Amino acid sequence: MDETVEPSEMIVHLGPQHPMMPGPFRLNAKLRGETIVDSEVEMGWIHKGIEKILENKTYLQGITIVDRICYLAAMTNEEAYVGCVEKLAGIEVPERSQYIRVIMEELSRIQSHLLGMGEYASFLGFVSMFMYTIRDREDVMSLIDSVTGARVTHSFLRYGGVKDDLPDGFKDDVKYVFGNLRKAVDQYEELYRTDDIYRARTVGIGVLTADVAKDLGVSGPPLRATGVAFDIRKDEPYLVYDDLDFKVCTQTDGDVYARIQVRLDEMRESMHIIEQCLDQIPSGPLFPEDTPYGKRSPVMRIPAGEVFHRVEDPRGEMGFYMVSDGSDKPYRVKIRGPVYPTLQTLPPLLKGVTVADIVSIAGSMDTCTSEVDR
Amino acid sequence: MDANSIITSLKGKFPDDICDDIMESDIRIGAKVKPENVVEVCRYLKEDLSFGHLCCEFGVDYPDRNEIEVIYVIGSYEHPVVLTMKAILPRDNPEIESVVPVYWNANWYERETYELFGVKYLNHPDLKPLVLPKEMLGEWPLRKDYKGFPNKTARNLV
Repeated sequence: MDETVEPSEMIVHLGPQHPMMPGPFRLNAKLRGETIVDSEVEMGWIHKGIEKILENKTYLQGITIVDRICYLAAMTNEEAYVGCVEKLAGIEVPERSQYIRVIMEELSRIQSHLLGMGEYASFLGFVSMFMYTIRDREDVMSLIDSVTGARVTHSFLRYGGVKDDLPDGFKDDVKYVFGNLRKAVDQYEELYRTDDIYRARTVGIGVLTADVAKDLGVSGPPLRATGVAFDIRKDEPYLVYDDLDFKVCTQTDGDVYARIQVRLDEMRESMHIIEQCLDQIPSGPLFPEDTPYGKRSPVMRIPAGEVFHRVEDPRGEMGFYMVSDGSDKPYRVKIRGPVYPTLQTLPPLLKGVTVADIVSIAGSMDTCTSEVDR
Repeated sequence: MDANSIITSLKGKFPDDICDDIMESDIRIGAKVKPENVVEVCRYLKEDLSFGHLCCEFGVDYPDRNEIEVIYVIGSYEHPVVLTMKAILPRDNPEIESVVPVYWNANWYERETYELFGVKYLNHPDLKPLVLPKEMLGEWPLRKDYKGFPNKTARNLV
């Protein structure tokens, strides 16, 4: 952004601490009156150097680190990481473990969408909505807690399998929680659909067209809201997604309202996926038999090679590029987060809108600064 | 469009620039590209082979070979093939043309590769640090010979 201002213009700094984001980043907006002429995003307040840390940890230790990339998507981050190791070492994951992984990842998608949606409503001054979604999210968190033993940073997946089996009575718990959640999601949709103020602030705001969104490299719900059915679970199936019946949720408007609608629909699809998994899940071992892989795999060398593995995060395409030199630690790990390109799109998206819409548009991306900075 | 025809088409169009092409699987192909012509290759990939989605771009440091690899991972919205394209640069003065005119979202990836590896992107619209403070420019922390880690962590600064 050009820092020079004309007499009728001024630069407003939003952030680094600003309630519209879970995490610090700064938006420098050049204003003419109420209208944004130009803007720029500054990052780096919580740069953790995770890519460097991973180079200094063994493969098993790395699982704990990748959790911390983004606490809302810890499970899918782990999936992308262990998926890389599995591809490098040629590990076949037993089917039961694959099903458990799908269940946990979809649960984590539901809780992420619930928080993202509720938070978004609170940005618009719709604070009671946040309380509703947090209440329902708590039930989902308890489900995750009952399996992994942790609420946000699980360290649950291992290369070759998962840490623990599902507890007794898990299917009944899920049935009970989903019974309530289905009603709740319908209720949210109704609230969003009928609230005039909410509609005024979202319908037709922050419109992305399919071509622009593709050009900007966006993925996940913001892209699917423009009508592009791009979902890694369908396009490049991993785990057992191939055997499951689900559809890719899309909308055509590409505005803020459509993004929230996609998340609502995706929660229903996730519940549908989990219920199928619980019906189809076979019994069997969690780790491949006669291999050293297990809950506490010993420190071992992974064959040299390079691999790119990507999964569908709650926010879009999460990919890891891993270079192994044959030692017990990765040589280089690149983390390709979904929010990184999404946050980049703010300056072109904010051009010409008013100050009041900044929060609406930026919030609807459901961004996570922690993941951009890594 | 499948992986085989993509490699054939790419090699047919740029016989001198693309080498060491490998097919890892049906949906993963890799190739090395000459650094001078990376923008033309990317433009061809985007416009003719529908590789419209730049997944990421980053560097890998190889001090033994005295080289830095810049890797472009390019996917598509139309077909499932992902191309991993490598440009090999000398470690002393790594310079490469920016692909921002082709892939808009390469902007931040290139800024990050610049601050962490010292790869200088020519004709980049705004080449400045993204996640690091300006004072750390020139230390190139993700290179393998960086001595700051773990001495510059918060524990040791207090």
